[in-house]
Amino acid sequence: MNLEAIQTKVAEVIISELKLEGVTPDTFDRELDLIDELGIDSMDMATIVLILQDEFGISINEDDYPGLSNIRLIAEYIRARKEKGAGTS
Amino acid sequence: MVVAKINVSASSSLKPETWKFSDLLADPAVRARWEKVRRYFYLRESTYDMSNRCNLRCDGCYYYEGDKQFAAENRDPDAWRALMRGERARGITYAVLAGAEPALAPDLLRACFAEMPLGCIATNGATFIPGDIGYKIHISVWGNDRTSEKLRGARNLLSRQLANYENDPRAVFIYTFTHGNCQEARETVEAIAARGGRVSFNVFSPTVGYEGPLRHTPESLREVRSAMLELLQEFPQHVLYSKYNAVAHTSPQGLHELFACPYPRVNPSTDIGLGRSFRQYRTDLTWDRDSACCVPDTDCRECRHYAAGSAIVTSRLVRHAKDPDAFKAWLDYVDIYLATWVIGYEKGDNLQPQIVFPPGRKAGGNGRE
Repeated sequence: MNLEAIQTKVAEVIISELKLEGVTPDTFDRELDLIDELGIDSMDMATIVLILQDEFGISINEDDYPGLSNIRLIAEYIRARKEKGAGTS
Repeated sequence: MVVAKINVSASSSLKPETWKFSDLLADPAVRARWEKVRRYFYLRESTYDMSNRCNLRCDGCYYYEGDKQFAAENRDPDAWRALMRGERARGITYAVLAGAEPALAPDLLRACFAEMPLGCIATNGATFIPGDIGYKIHISVWGNDRTSEKLRGARNLLSRQLANYENDPRAVFIYTFTHGNCQEARETVEAIAARGGRVSFNVFSPTVGYEGPLRHTPESLREVRSAMLELLQEFPQHVLYSKYNAVAHTSPQGLHELFACPYPRVNPSTDIGLGRSFRQYRTDLTWDRDSACCVPDTDCRECRHYAAGSAIVTSRLVRHAKDPDAFKAWLDYVDIYLATWVIGYEKGDNLQPQIVFPPGRKAGGNGRE
């Protein structure tokens, strides 16, 4: 799965879980700061993490949450984890 | 990671290597509870000292420790309204109004309620808080009337608390288990239940440097856990608690060691969550990040406070979404948190009938967890 496809899937999850309106997975700004600009909090982030772990078969460390502040960064993180096989426990 | 494909109706005793979150939600009862509690994930709290006065002096009081007790009172309702508007603007959705005794400042409570519709007042219950202030009200109970008189210098306090808040849907009585009052819990819960009240539990958590007789020992914590579990079983309609609450708050390790407290006082991160948004305002409307937590001046190593747990345990969703047992225990905890803190939220039946230990902990041969 290439980076754009991962970004689109991440956007889809965020839109669905946060019930966002007026935005689609394709139009979701990949650089939008999810915390500062979208206003998501730790419980939103935890929920999104759980869904993404399911979707991509990886694990996401709690310590890494602060770095996952926009869709591009999340997608790059997921791609790196999958390439390293880091989700394998 | 090998993701196990196992029908969630099977018991977690099957021990798959890893459970998917979607597997945990495949149980209809779990899914329903998840959907019920997640509607409140928008709650973001801060706490506010409303006065530097109190009508009681209690042994082990949190307020009269540290510097906050010396803050000058701001008694201007307009200033409090402005503060709450500012709090809303920065994303706070829930106000916890506490020290010293909020009931002595009803105009300020009213001002806060006008601007911040969700919240809770922590009171000793000796003075009635007018009914137009629609926050949850947590009434601190430290034992029967004899013990209350001894520790708090108040005569007939439980009787007065019960009379003030009988049939009041805002009220939740919070019974604090100290080292010496476990034997009084039953008669106290019976008295609350007889008046139709609801009760939840707190565990005495000493302030820094406290050396008094209320401090728990490993033995007293075991005794408290047994009492909690018995009362939960006997008064299910009146006791807002779960087996997981009992375990989490009576373990040899404090909440911080078990779950990593996210309050600013011990959490340097300002990236997301409580470390970013939580403030603890003094009665002069100032705040200090270095002391910001829900029970300032508590010794973090021994913090088992119910209010702390309400934020600490609930925030650890991902850690509990590892298997069905842990997730059900977490859902029970969150359900009780909401029933205790949010007006209009009704608790469901507890989902987890078993004793479950916090993630990464289990009962050891020596009784350690």
